[in-house]
Amino acid sequence: MGRTVNWENNYEKALERAKNENKFVVLDFFNPN
Amino acid sequence: MNTVTYSNDNVINFLNNEVIPIQVLFDNQPLATKYNLQWTPTIIVMDDQGREYNRTIGFISPEEFIPAILLGIGKALFESGRFVEAINTFDRIIGEYKKCNATPEAIYYKGVCQYKHTHEPKYLKDAYELLKNDFPESDWTLRAKPYSLL
Repeated sequence: MGRTVNWENNYEKALERAKNENKFVVLDFFNPN
Repeated sequence: MNTVTYSNDNVINFLNNEVIPIQVLFDNQPLATKYNLQWTPTIIVMDDQGREYNRTIGFISPEEFIPAILLGIGKALFESGRFVEAINTFDRIIGEYKKCNATPEAIYYKGVCQYKHTHEPKYLKDAYELLKNDFPESDWTLRAKPYSLL
């Protein structure tokens, strides 16, 4: 199985990680259909 | 996006190591309302306060994805007054992604950042000259044209 993107799915957690890791956030809105 | 761009090794490495990637459904509330979502895929670059700096709508190829995100990061750094970091980010686009859709805008913003950082107008003129030579048809070349008079 290939490697995959380690997506967050919780907005607040993503912002908290961004602050702690001094990174920007990339938010992808997607439609599975 | 999942089967093409998000399966590309370079994109995976970039997303996992250089940013915090978050993926949500198009009807996620309150996020869809907060960010005025109208179409998918929509990809937004934001800071740790949720402030949006750049968005792209529609499919992006693996070759265009990283420079598009770097452009958003560079613009975020620029708008935060972090000019040296912004210049380094735009330089990365210009150096590593020489002919991508994001490249002319990166050249333009690099010149603006250099000017804001040093107050030397020559950087604006240099940006125009580079755009004129490498991207003569770009809208960013037209935007920079007045700098040729400096």
